[in-house]
Amino acid sequence: MKNRLKVLRAERDWSQADLAERLEVSRQTVNSIETGKYDPSLPLAFRIGRLFGRPVEEIFIDGGDQ
Amino acid sequence: MNAKSVPSAASFTARPAVWVVAWLVAWFLARLVLEGATVPTWGRVAAALAPVPVAAVALLSIVRSARDLDELERRIQLEALAIAFLLTMLLLMTLGLIELAVALNPDDWSYRHVWAMLPVLYFAGLAWTRRRYA
Repeated sequence: MKNRLKVLRAERDWSQADLAERLEVSRQTVNSIETGKYDPSLPLAFRIGRLFGRPVEEIFIDGGDQ
Repeated sequence: MNAKSVPSAASFTARPAVWVVAWLVAWFLARLVLEGATVPTWGRVAAALAPVPVAAVALLSIVRSARDLDELERRIQLEALAIAFLLTMLLLMTLGLIELAVALNPDDWSYRHVWAMLPVLYFAGLAWTRRRYA
């Protein structure tokens, strides 16, 4: 699943470590989500949405069944 | 920032490491005692069982540590364990089949040798899974 996490993070001038701390996950998790290697759980996706003040579907782009 | 910090994979392995080292020390000490010819039977049994409680504490420490991991690290651990389980099954099945054909030397292929391969398979699975999500 593609996402806009890297762009949103860059807009706020946060490092991956900053974002990881705010989301209470490891930096590796942030990196894996950004690179599309890992799709977050629904609770984490909502946490990301709340943090950036945007709905989940604006951050995560549904690519359909790939 | 006051957000709760999440333990990294490094701290996951560091926290129970003390107990794992204690376990290995107990194991080597037990082997040392058991190789001594003058130890009575009850002493040999006590020495043989001495590493078991230390191992139990080490394993419990690993489980406790796993509860603090974030969701990706939990998935990595789960996949590593799944790989290790499958490789273990393959190993034991292979040894069982070979044993049907030829008698395996118990000095090389007893339980005390085979169990040591299980952590090796787990770490191999962990390395492979970590690379996948890196």
